[in-house]
Amino acid sequence: MILKKSLWSWALTRCRGLQALLLLLIVFTVFFRVFPLEMQKRIVNEAIRFRKIDTLFLYCGLYMGAVLLAGILKYAINVLQGYIGQKILLEMRTGLYQHVLQLPIGFYRRTPPGMVISALTSEISSVAEFLGSAVAVPVVNVLTLGTFGAYMFYLNPLLALLSLSIYPFEIAIIPFLQRRFNRLNSQRVTERRAMSNAVGEAVSGIHEIHANASYQLESEKVARFAKKLFQLRHRMNLFKFGIKFTNNFFQSLGPFLLFLLGGYYSIQGHFSLGALVAFLSAYEKLYDPWKELMDFYQNYQNAAVSYGRIQEAFDVQPEFRLLARDKKLVALSGHLQVEDLFFDVHGKIRLLEQINLELQPGQRLALVGLSGSGKSTLAMILAQLYRYEHGHVYLDHHELRELAKAEVIPHLGFVAQYPFIFDGSIRENILYGCRALSTVAGKTAPDDDPGSEEILHMVDQVGLTDDILRFGLNSLVGADCCQDLVHKVIRARHRLHDAWGLELADCVEFFQKGTFMEHSSIATNIVFGYPSGEGRPCEILPKSPRFRAFLQEKGLLEPLLALGLDVSRRTVPLMRDLGDDPFFFQQSPIPPEELDLYQAIMEHYKEEHPAFQPRDVEPLLALALRTVPGKHKMVTVPRELRAKILEARPLFRDYCSRKDPEAFVYYSENEYLHSRTLLDNLLFGRLKEDGSWAWDKVMKAVVDLLHEEDLYDRVLELGLEFQVGSKGDRLSGGQKQKVGIARALLKKPRLLIMDEATASLDMASQHRIQHYLDVELRGKATVVSVAHRLETIRDYDLIAVMKSGQIVEMGRYQELMEKRGLFYELVRGND
Amino acid sequence: MSSSEETTKGSGIPEEGTEHVCELDRNVEILRRVDTFAGLPLERLKVYALLCHRLRIEKGQFLFQQGEPADKAYVVIEGKAQIIRQYEDHSFIVHELHPGDFFGGLALLANVKRLFGVRAAEDLELLSIDRESFRKILRQFPELIEKILDVMIGRIVATEEKLLEYHIHECVIH
Repeated sequence: MILKKSLWSWALTRCRGLQALLLLLIVFTVFFRVFPLEMQKRIVNEAIRFRKIDTLFLYCGLYMGAVLLAGILKYAINVLQGYIGQKILLEMRTGLYQHVLQLPIGFYRRTPPGMVISALTSEISSVAEFLGSAVAVPVVNVLTLGTFGAYMFYLNPLLALLSLSIYPFEIAIIPFLQRRFNRLNSQRVTERRAMSNAVGEAVSGIHEIHANASYQLESEKVARFAKKLFQLRHRMNLFKFGIKFTNNFFQSLGPFLLFLLGGYYSIQGHFSLGALVAFLSAYEKLYDPWKELMDFYQNYQNAAVSYGRIQEAFDVQPEFRLLARDKKLVALSGHLQVEDLFFDVHGKIRLLEQINLELQPGQRLALVGLSGSGKSTLAMILAQLYRYEHGHVYLDHHELRELAKAEVIPHLGFVAQYPFIFDGSIRENILYGCRALSTVAGKTAPDDDPGSEEILHMVDQVGLTDDILRFGLNSLVGADCCQDLVHKVIRARHRLHDAWGLELADCVEFFQKGTFMEHSSIATNIVFGYPSGEGRPCEILPKSPRFRAFLQEKGLLEPLLALGLDVSRRTVPLMRDLGDDPFFFQQSPIPPEELDLYQAIMEHYKEEHPAFQPRDVEPLLALALRTVPGKHKMVTVPRELRAKILEARPLFRDYCSRKDPEAFVYYSENEYLHSRTLLDNLLFGRLKEDGSWAWDKVMKAVVDLLHEEDLYDRVLELGLEFQVGSKGDRLSGGQKQKVGIARALLKKPRLLIMDEATASLDMASQHRIQHYLDVELRGKATVVSVAHRLETIRDYDLIAVMKSGQIVEMGRYQELMEKRGLFYELVRGND
Repeated sequence: MSSSEETTKGSGIPEEGTEHVCELDRNVEILRRVDTFAGLPLERLKVYALLCHRLRIEKGQFLFQQGEPADKAYVVIEGKAQIIRQYEDHSFIVHELHPGDFFGGLALLANVKRLFGVRAAEDLELLSIDRESFRKILRQFPELIEKILDVMIGRIVATEEKLLEYHIHECVIH
């Protein structure tokens, strides 16, 4: 197991070739560090003293060369060290994560996510920093120290002995301080994890926090930890800088001794001046390796603390093996037998007691009972999510506990009550099970993925087609893809106008050159298109001097400013009392944060036709341009202004094509509008209201059209690419559940386990899925279903009624009803 | 028996305005003629008018069916509609709705199921308001609660009374 290795074994067994190279470079640098000292001595003693210019040049040159080479080597060493450290980190981190993922569900019940994240990110990286330097730094610095020491002995043994005598004192004091520091550091790890947990919890519980306005409460929780961390960090600093101080103090004792004694010897003539300079230099040079050794020692201690804490936190064994020892289960019939199964948690709380049942391949079992009766626990044990210790579960006569994940997973489909949806597309989420399967089975080629046709079939079976269609129709098609699709859509657009144009005029506003569009902004009405770059026309245009010049020239500026003022007068008084609830402001052209601005403007102009001040032009113009008459109900656009806008439309296009032909994309019957949705493109218009009645009516026409033009599956495929957002937040509860079911069914499992898998579905979808189970899966898969709606299990082969962890009744629907026991009560209670 | 528990008679509908009257003001005019909203101050009524939606139903289509979950109330703007009570093998037209009539109001108060279906007898234009909007406004302006509840409770009392009368009537007959 990855965590059993000691810190040193990581350092000594990884990247051996690179470590050897590193050592070699180090030996060279040590030489190039001492060499300049000798040059220094010779420059003073030989060149300067005897006034030899040539020798001076030679020694200076050599000195320079050695310093340069030492620098280059140092650079190479640092790069190598960093590389080795990060390389080991990579292996450690991926290995640790793989281990962490396989840990049992019980582990996660007591381990908050914040702690796992903290361990995998910051804690482990401090270990890596140390690992890169674990071999090189002690070797290089001990060597350097030794070399300088030896050189000093070579210059003057007595002085050397004296100046080195201070080190033993340091070696005695520093570890004492360090131990104190380590203890605090370990506490700091604990507190930091606790703080990560508090933050993590607040993020996942943000709904509750907003609902209770418990901001103060939550921030106090984190503040408590932050304060503790502050105190710990402060005390750690006391020790850390205490160590530094001790170090520096003893270090500066050295020159004191040297000047005193060295000076004395020099005056007495026992010691050359050059030798004293070199000796001082050598002593100064001792400082660097010693300091590095000290840092190394501190890094090592920090890494040891972090690593120890990680080891201790994750020292748990996975409950099931991942890979099979010998492939026992290549094919599976789906026979399931449970014998005297008991299941306890925390060693004492008994969740299941003496469960016995048997299912022949293809049979269906329903588990029913009140909540807390153990039915979900049983389902999860059958899906290998929990490990049982007492009793037996046989899958095709193999003990389930002993089977490896790789043996069970290919045959098992599990649908949780709230399936987890991962960030990514719907397609990726539906394929999740199949893709995982191919990695477990050792295949990595994504060609094995089920094709779109198969996925769409499954999507249809679980009743997700309408949603996928909607996602597809609402998606944007980029300018650089799907040329064939674009052409087909444009063709379909003409067909739609011919066949359904009149019928849909009620709920769709078509883009027509000569018509004022009530459901588009005033800006869009003028441009009759959109900017080719980023941003919406109503955001860009008010700032553009060229556009203002155009409006001025066509006599549109004044009426638009008047409209802006009129919109403010109608909107501000209405919205002022509504707080800043976004719900109310959906229908407002003025967002809550701009209410004050427009109120000030509005109060400034009392008269009917005021002269506008230059500073108010931009906000008023912006407001007028973003107004959508059909949506912002408080607004009316005067008839004269509409006429003027329509007049300006072709003029604007001319004006722009002269000044900047690339700036806008204009609505044109024969072009695809890439910044508009596929549906807008098909309609060449937009829905007047979001109401479902309009949607249903339009959908009827659009679906017919898509079928006729052979575009239907293409649009569905686009819909499969819909990005569901983090945790599938952009999907409804029912959609998530359908995706979860499709994910499990796409694997064509022999054993299907569903834990209230249809609980958040409406009746129609539930019947649809039941029908799939009844017809398509009949006899092909053994089904275990935790059921809450009892009318769906009428023709199940077996119903097990559970109460307090035991099966109290078992039989078919009719038998159990006639028995008039607990099941009868449950059915009656359900009505 | 009338289904007045959920509908009220309106007093006609204002003329469709000229271009210069905005949709908001037209909605206000419509709501003012509904007793539930009639007593509200104009500036609050405008908020309701803002959150209303217009919709059209073609002749013969159902707006909703009996037993469906309900979260909207409606005012008829134009056209005629029928209130239909459905039973397993037959259904009755209980009542006819005309411009200005308000129906489905209970849906604004609680999550109930429709007690009847509504079908367009002519092409129908309606104004709808949903429960979420209705409640959000009450939460924003709690002083409105009393006014609105008074009217709604008054209506429920009237229905209750009618029901009792009806029972007495039944008893006399039998």
